[in-house]
Formats: sequence, C-alpha cells, structure tokens
Amino acid sequence: MIKQVENPILEIHDLTVSYDQSPVLWNVDLSLPAGKLIGILGPNGAGKSTLIKSVMGLVEPSSGYVKLFDQTLDEVRSRISYVPQRESVDWNFPASVLDVVLMGTYGKLGLFRRPGKKEKTLALDCLEKVGMTAFVHRQISELSGGQQQRVFIARALAQEADLYLMDEPFAGVDMNTEAAIFQLLQEMSAAGKTVVVVHHDIYSAVNYFDWFIMLNLHLVASGPKNEVVTEELLRKTYGGKLNLLSKVSELIRQKEFNPLKG
Amino acid sequence: MMSFDQNAFLIIITASMIAISCGLLGVFMMLRKMSMTGDAISHAVLPGIVIGYLVSGTQRGLEVIIGAGILGILATLMIDWLRKKARVQLDASIGITFTLLFAIGIILISVFAYRVDLDQECVLYGEIAYLPIDLWINSSGQSFGPRIMWLAILNLLLVGGFITLFYKELKITSFDEKFGIVIGIPASAINLGLMSMVSYTTVSSFEAVGAILVVALLVVPPATAYLWTRDLRPLIQLTILTGVMVSVIGYYLAFLFDSSIAGMMVTVAGIIFFLSVIFTHKKFKFTLGTQKETQPFSS
Repeated sequence: MIKQVENPILEIHDLTVSYDQSPVLWNVDLSLPAGKLIGILGPNGAGKSTLIKSVMGLVEPSSGYVKLFDQTLDEVRSRISYVPQRESVDWNFPASVLDVVLMGTYGKLGLFRRPGKKEKTLALDCLEKVGMTAFVHRQISELSGGQQQRVFIARALAQEADLYLMDEPFAGVDMNTEAAIFQLLQEMSAAGKTVVVVHHDIYSAVNYFDWFIMLNLHLVASGPKNEVVTEELLRKTYGGKLNLLSKVSELIRQKEFNPLKG
Repeated sequence: MMSFDQNAFLIIITASMIAISCGLLGVFMMLRKMSMTGDAISHAVLPGIVIGYLVSGTQRGLEVIIGAGILGILATLMIDWLRKKARVQLDASIGITFTLLFAIGIILISVFAYRVDLDQECVLYGEIAYLPIDLWINSSGQSFGPRIMWLAILNLLLVGGFITLFYKELKITSFDEKFGIVIGIPASAINLGLMSMVSYTTVSSFEAVGAILVVALLVVPPATAYLWTRDLRPLIQLTILTGVMVSVIGYYLAFLFDSSIAGMMVTVAGIIFFLSVIFTHKKFKFTLGTQKETQPFSS
C-alpha cells in the first residue's frame, strides 16, 4: 500500500542505499504531502535513520534520487531542518543552551557573519516554544536527556524551515517531554509545516501521526493513517512479533485508544 | 641572576606567540577529538621539510613551508582514508601514518646528508635560545631583529585571523559536523583549513621548539583550560593565558637550571596541568552537596 501524492513536498525515487555492498534500503519510492505529521515506523535496522540521512545528503545513495519542493537539496537547504539523534554528539562540548540553539541560524547567516540581536531573539523564542526558557545560559553538559532533546528541537526551529526531519526525537525522553514535544509538532503541522519523525514505538505512533511510512529494508507502506495502519501491513513491517501486533491492531480498532491513559 | 634583559624579552615574547598559536588551534583539535592528529601532523611534516629544503637549498625557503603543508594535509587524508575505507581504528591509523611519514623523513635526511644542512636534533627539539643571534637582515644589511620572532608574529596573525573569521564554522563543525553539513557549512574545507594551519604552525615553530614539543603546546594548554571551564570563549582565553604562563615560567626555570628552554616550557605545561587536575578536583568536592543555582531567564 504505497500512496503517491500530487505536488509532493518530498519525493524519493527508486532509492537504494548500501553500506559495504550490503543494501540497507531497497528501492524506496514514495512521495509525501505537505502540512502533515508523518511517522516513519519499522524495526531496528530497518533503515529508518538511513532514509532520513539520504534525504539530507549525509548518505550517498547507490541509485535513485531525492527531490524536495520539486528541487534538489542544494537549492532548498534553507527550507529544510534536521534533528539528528541525540547520541550523535558529545554533550560535554563547551557551549550553553543558547549557543547550540543559535547554531540553527548559522545556515541563513552564511560565511563570516556572526549571529546578532535578531538571531538571539529568534533563539530565545524557540527555546520558549520548547519550554526551556529557564535554561538559556545552562551548560549543555548539565542537561538531562529530555532537555537535550528539547534543545535540539529548538535549534531546528531556529532554522525557520518548512520541512522538518527528526531522527528519534522521542528516544530516551520522559512522558512529560514526549507529550510536550508532540504537542509542539502538532502546532507546527497545523501552521502548515511538514514534520517527518522517525519513531520506534508503534503504540504511541498510531496516536501521534496522520501519515505513515513503514519500512523494513524495503518500503512496506506509505499513506494516510486510516489506510495503512492495518494488522497485515504492521505484520509485514515488523515480522515475527505477532502477539504484540495483533494486540496493537485490536487497540487501533477501538477508536478511544490512548496509550498515555494506559 | 633573574635578569630581564632584551634577549629574555625577545625569547619570552616569541615563545608566548608560538604557544598561543598552538593553543588556539589545539582547542579546536581537542574539541574534535583530534589532538593526536596534531601529533601525527607534527611528525609527518618532516619529509616535507626535507624535500622543501632540497628544492630551495635553504631551511628558510617558502618551499619548506609549502612542502610541510602538503605533507600535513596528506597525513590527515591518509588517516581519514585508513579509518573510513580500510576500516582501521583511528589510533592505529594515526600510528601507522605518522611513523611511516616520519621514517621517510629520517631516511631522506640521512641519504641526502651531504646536501642537507638539516640537523635531526634541531628539527626534533628546536633551540629557541639561539633566537636573539639569528637576525633577519635584508640585502642592504639592515637588521630587523630576530627572524624567528617575525615568523611567530606572522604565524599568530594567520592563526588568529583564521580562528576569528571561521569561529562560527569551527564551532559548529566541532560540535555537530553532520548538522553543519546539512545547513550548508563547507565542513570538509573547514577541516582541511584547520589541518593546514596545524601543519603550517608546526613548521613555523619547529626551529624554536622542535617538532615534538609543538605537540605539547597543541595539547596541554587546551586540556588544562578545559579542566577549569565549560564555555568556549573562556576556554580559549584560559588556553592563551596558560600558553603565556608556560613561556614565562619555562624561560626562567630553564635559565635557573641552565637547561633547554623548550623542554622546560613543556615540563612547566605538564606541571600546570597536574596542578589544575588537583585544584579542580578539590573545587568539585567543595561544590558537591550545594544545590546549583538555576540561571533565571534574562533579556
């Protein structure tokens, strides 16, 4: 079940990525609509992060191409924002919360220009959106996991992009942070931004997103929630864990399902 | 005995400038977890120095600096290639690269010994004490003061300029290189620029402090400063301060014990580092148990 859309904001065409000759993504072909909150689901090692990285040009595909806003990446860099995995950096780096969020403005500043008052106001604004106002001058080494994640999201917001790609923003964060981040993502998508999120928890995912990409080396499904979140497709994506999956799809059928209320 | 004459002044000023140049670059090498790449570069430039010498016929030619610069970048690329393509561990690829290039340099020196007035001892250890008598004299016989001091001034200006101009880019690529690439920062060019600066600084300073001791000035002052602060600007300022302290104290101790100035500078750097470890450790114990204040929202 792969639904292609007209005027896609992101188009991935026949993308294959391999590391050392062994493919980690096979022939992925999909298109995504604008203004949606999109979840990428799949088991560990399914190529979720690789998919995002190849969209961002961090991984060289063996074949296929990616188009954003019907253009190449280099033409639209300033309209795309990226939240890498939290563990991808060393948080002992000597910088304050504000320093890191200001890095989001570097792309638009270009070479040689330093962030000024305007950039600082923007950064403080973004920190307010993620509820980190009290930590502006805190050293990043003193933050908790959830706070680090909020800082990364604030940095992405400071890029003032139209398309946001986030790699596991909910990994290792507490329930409060997860709820707060998700609410923010909803507001962003309501404001017309497109948000693509790699997520590993299928329970919460069915509540969070309105469009799904299901991956397991190859593309299993891409489409709106009510069409692709089915037992059959989830089984195809996750393979073995049948008990768990039947439970999930049963829960999905009951409309009132809310994992937060358990 | 503790005199402060013109020679002392010249030596201390020059040593300080070299220590500051090395420290500025060393901060970013440390933050990129590449301190040992600096070590590798400082050794790997040796064949470049010899080849440059053979081409130009003098230790002071531009060819020497260019040759060393090329070898420095080559070493960086080789380390990177071994690590990424040949899947060798980073420390092993550094070890393989710099020993191989350094050995080639030694062979070149011994093979061309009859043509190269290049002393291995000088390249390795340097001798800043000769600085006041090694003057820069132009063709009409006018003297402008010590040659190595002018090299150090030029070096400091270039390194300072590089760090100031690309501060933002160096900062982001050191913290989160991939994010930097995504927002369009030329990360690999910045990296190569930094490596070239390290190579150039090594060559520019080897006559004064030697290729091996340059490494200490690249690594120890930034590591010392990092014990005291977790903010980039104070980190750089403390590194500069440590560099100057090392030069002043190192000079007078060497004078006192009548020993090698560069050797004493590095020893002092090591002592300051270990004292910092002890003091910052104590400081840590003192603050333990007291609640850290949350910075209120300002501006």
